[in-house]
Amino acid sequence: MQKFDTVIIGAGSVGLPLSYYLSKKGQKVAVIEKEHSYGRGQNRAAIGGLRATHSDPAKIKICQMSIDILKKMEKDHGFEIDWLEGGYLYPIYEEAKETALKELLVKQKNYGLDIDWISPEEIRELVPGINMNGLRGGTFSPHDGSASPLKTAGAYYILSLDAGTTFFFDEEVEEFSKEGGKLISVKTDKRVISADVFINAAGGNAKEIGAMCGLDLPVYPDSHEAGVTEPVKYFFKPMVVDLRSDNQSANFYYYQNEGGQIIFCVTPEPKILGKDCDNTSEFLPLITRRIVDIHPRLKNIRVRRTWRGLYPMTPDGFPIVGRPKDIENMFLAVGMCGQGFMLGPGLGKIISEIIADKTNKYNFILDELSLYRQFEGNEMLK
Amino acid sequence: MKRITAHPVLEVKARQEVDFTFDGLPVKGLEGEPVSSALFANGIKQFSIHKKDDAPQGIFCANGQCSQCSVIIDGMPLKSCVTPLRAGMDVRTLVHIPELPHDDEPCFLSRLETLKTDVVVIGGGPSGLTSAIELAKLGFDVTIVEDKEKLGGKLLLQTHKFFGSQEDSFAGTRGYEIAELLEKQIREFPNVTVLYETSVVGVYKDKKIGVYKNNGKYSIIDFEGLVISAGAREKSLVFPGNDLPGVYGAGAFQTLVNRDLVKASERVFIIGSGNVGLIAAYHALQAGISVVGIVDIMEKVSGYKVHADKIKRMGVPVYLNTTVLAAFGKEKIEKVTVAEVDDKWNPILTTARTYETDTLLIAAGLTPVDEFYDQALEFGFKAVKTGDADEIAEASSAMFGGRIAGLKMAKMLGKEIEIDRSFYEKAEILKSKPGIVFEPVPVIIKQNLTPVFQCFQEIPCNPCTTVCPKGCISLVGKFGNIMDTPTYTLDECTGCGLCVAVCPGLAVSLAKRIDEASAEVILPHEYLLSFAPGDMINVTDIDGNILEKAEVKHIRLNKKYRTHLVTVKMSLNNASKAIGIRVQDESVTKPCAETLLPELPDNGIVCRCERVTVKELVDFIKKFRVRDVNQLKQIRAGMGACGSKTCSVLYPRIFKQAGVDYYDVTGGTVRPVTVEVPMNSLIEGEVE
Repeated sequence: MQKFDTVIIGAGSVGLPLSYYLSKKGQKVAVIEKEHSYGRGQNRAAIGGLRATHSDPAKIKICQMSIDILKKMEKDHGFEIDWLEGGYLYPIYEEAKETALKELLVKQKNYGLDIDWISPEEIRELVPGINMNGLRGGTFSPHDGSASPLKTAGAYYILSLDAGTTFFFDEEVEEFSKEGGKLISVKTDKRVISADVFINAAGGNAKEIGAMCGLDLPVYPDSHEAGVTEPVKYFFKPMVVDLRSDNQSANFYYYQNEGGQIIFCVTPEPKILGKDCDNTSEFLPLITRRIVDIHPRLKNIRVRRTWRGLYPMTPDGFPIVGRPKDIENMFLAVGMCGQGFMLGPGLGKIISEIIADKTNKYNFILDELSLYRQFEGNEMLK
Repeated sequence: MKRITAHPVLEVKARQEVDFTFDGLPVKGLEGEPVSSALFANGIKQFSIHKKDDAPQGIFCANGQCSQCSVIIDGMPLKSCVTPLRAGMDVRTLVHIPELPHDDEPCFLSRLETLKTDVVVIGGGPSGLTSAIELAKLGFDVTIVEDKEKLGGKLLLQTHKFFGSQEDSFAGTRGYEIAELLEKQIREFPNVTVLYETSVVGVYKDKKIGVYKNNGKYSIIDFEGLVISAGAREKSLVFPGNDLPGVYGAGAFQTLVNRDLVKASERVFIIGSGNVGLIAAYHALQAGISVVGIVDIMEKVSGYKVHADKIKRMGVPVYLNTTVLAAFGKEKIEKVTVAEVDDKWNPILTTARTYETDTLLIAAGLTPVDEFYDQALEFGFKAVKTGDADEIAEASSAMFGGRIAGLKMAKMLGKEIEIDRSFYEKAEILKSKPGIVFEPVPVIIKQNLTPVFQCFQEIPCNPCTTVCPKGCISLVGKFGNIMDTPTYTLDECTGCGLCVAVCPGLAVSLAKRIDEASAEVILPHEYLLSFAPGDMINVTDIDGNILEKAEVKHIRLNKKYRTHLVTVKMSLNNASKAIGIRVQDESVTKPCAETLLPELPDNGIVCRCERVTVKELVDFIKKFRVRDVNQLKQIRAGMGACGSKTCSVLYPRIFKQAGVDYYDVTGGTVRPVTVEVPMNSLIEGEVE
């Protein structure tokens, strides 16, 4: 039986950075991944948005750390990950949304975010060709941005390997053995591994992994649809988030990446529950109507590819991070609600400090994102 | 203008000339022809400048698949090979990436059209058409989705006579004529709808497909069954200079030359001795284009022997055990260097030689376009695949296979029919690979005209037997079917010459003895005449060796088969060996005095869209321990407009070069959309 300090289930947006930071702290780390290589779960479906603009202190803190890390990825480690500081823009067309966002703005500023309400004209400067009809203004946070999830995963994989992490690809977790309130080992279809700490970072499969340890995790994946266009000359900087909903969709967002391609993603309404990621005929006509409505200049751009990805959702739209009560050596980093990519690097660093350094400076995060919270709230910017 | 104004087989019709501009300069083209062909006719072969390294880009597939021919037309980036030319168009080189027009008017909303049909046939080529006919006969409502403006697929490019049998696959008839025959049959069925210039955008799980109708409007089709007859795409080859304008697929060449009658080249060099490469050479010669040579890394010609013999007779050398080392040129290809290979396929540099050429054709084989089929199966739809989408083979076999596919689909949809077992046998025969080559048997020339066959390889072909009015010719051999070779078995030849005119391999002559020293021989000739009775012409044997200069006595044209029958007087000794008339002078096939060698053997392009080289890929695979094709997107390989259609075929070799067994690598995923579609055509919305 192989023995490690920590075993991480999942080599995705969350598991990869976490494995690196733990290994770097001298831990002997193993990552078990059922796919053939890293980032094959939802990382490959992520569109790359990175924002600290959230509505709660925990996520704001984690994402501020993520941005800080990824911004410096090339300088610190030599990996080009297409970081682009384009900011996040929430253009507002409805009075109720204006009121809500302006209320939130006060909180956001209190949490230390650089964000402000800007006028329709300022929005037009940032996003030439945006629909000005009914535009009331919006919030803009200039230090948010985007990066390539694929390149980021690739960078963390190599960093983690070089730091000594062992990856077991093509291995599916079958069961855990438990003694009292402690996990002893994990059995895959190929081996049994024992460890001091076991981390569930299984993304869309977090609930199943949880169930194997006797935990009922409220993580329910639903699928969102995304697409990418041909590249055109760079002409707008921010990620544009349209918070409105219609009878087929809730919010949607899009941005122009470093290569000039426009990447977009929509939240279907009603939700498409489950793990099915096959495309249906409804998506393209719906998303193009919404994009061209808010940004008519995009009507002539050609769509190159579409895909679906999973949002492992929790009832309130916030992640679950921390130790479950009944299993002292298990750690949860699950239910990222479609934000695994932006939360992953910061979260990885934080969890590594909690586990390896036994720090308690992040207790406010563990409290807020506890499995035992009421799940009554509703993340406004999910 | 680089147009073909006279052609031995194709009719050159007068078409409306229109003015347009390229990069602001006035040029002329033909109304409705693809913009790419109009540009080629003006000698323009560079269409874009790549964003990565400012490299010039030319055409590659001429088939709407690869996007390499994109230009800016009236402000919009468009694939020039599928955009019809109109008067006054403003065509511009696409430099790096296009700028989106500053058009901020709201978009007109309309409801998307949803069509309903029993069976969608994807691809109106030989197999798609025959399957549609079978389904239509049985009463099904059929919709053919065809991305070109005419039905027929690759039949439209094929000016040569077909192999196979006359009863099952129109043998002896030329490809483009078969296309017309099939289109006529299709038109007779009111229950068949044809959507022209329409590409499939995606196959969706809710049992619908999305199509880009008439290259203008997105529509949804509701169906019960899918026939995937989408054909094949040409394989790319990797060598330094493979990205230069002027290096492209043999199919693209046939499109330019045979469909659009553009004299795309003066001197062409061909890689690959399969039927596609061999026929391309033949088509080039017919269009008045010199063929410098053909190379194949294999030790044997991979196409039909009669095809290879045919072009050797015309004066084209076929170099076996030989590979291409590199192509050279500044803004387009100017030279190519080839070398022989050892038994491990490594080039022997001492044998390297360089040829001057303006066009290098890649005829390295085809891969099936079957991703729609795989998707349909994954979603549990009723689907069949046929033609090249199923298995790469001759169009004769595709036509027969299409009939079977149509019947299979009918059964899947609940029709109680039996498929004749003999159909499967025939289909197998028609797609047979060439068999053994026999030694020629000595022939004694008689007093009366009798046929002499230079047809020694087992291939599925028999029109000489069915065309003979006296039934003098039979196939004899071990198969007992059309794979056997022809023999003159009944001595009642009238000298009508039909066997000479019909033979797709031009491998039959008629000969008679005049006196002890001389003979009269009737030879097939499919070229514009450059000689007249009384002239002396070079007559060759099967391998292209010149036998003697013989006097032309008589020339007649068989109109049905569009083949000249040339009667020559020659020595009796050579009469049984005579089979061809040399058309190309030896001097065009001579190498240059100086041999050029590539500086960086690993800078051949693998991903053409994003210009990713072998070296970049191999280094990346090693550094990032790549075991998943998806990871190659980190260096943009496979991220281009074509959707990884061209590069994915090359990946096994690249991974091998990086020391990774491709069995241990996860392949890429095929997702909609398969062709790029502008947002304004996709929108579904209520009219307000």
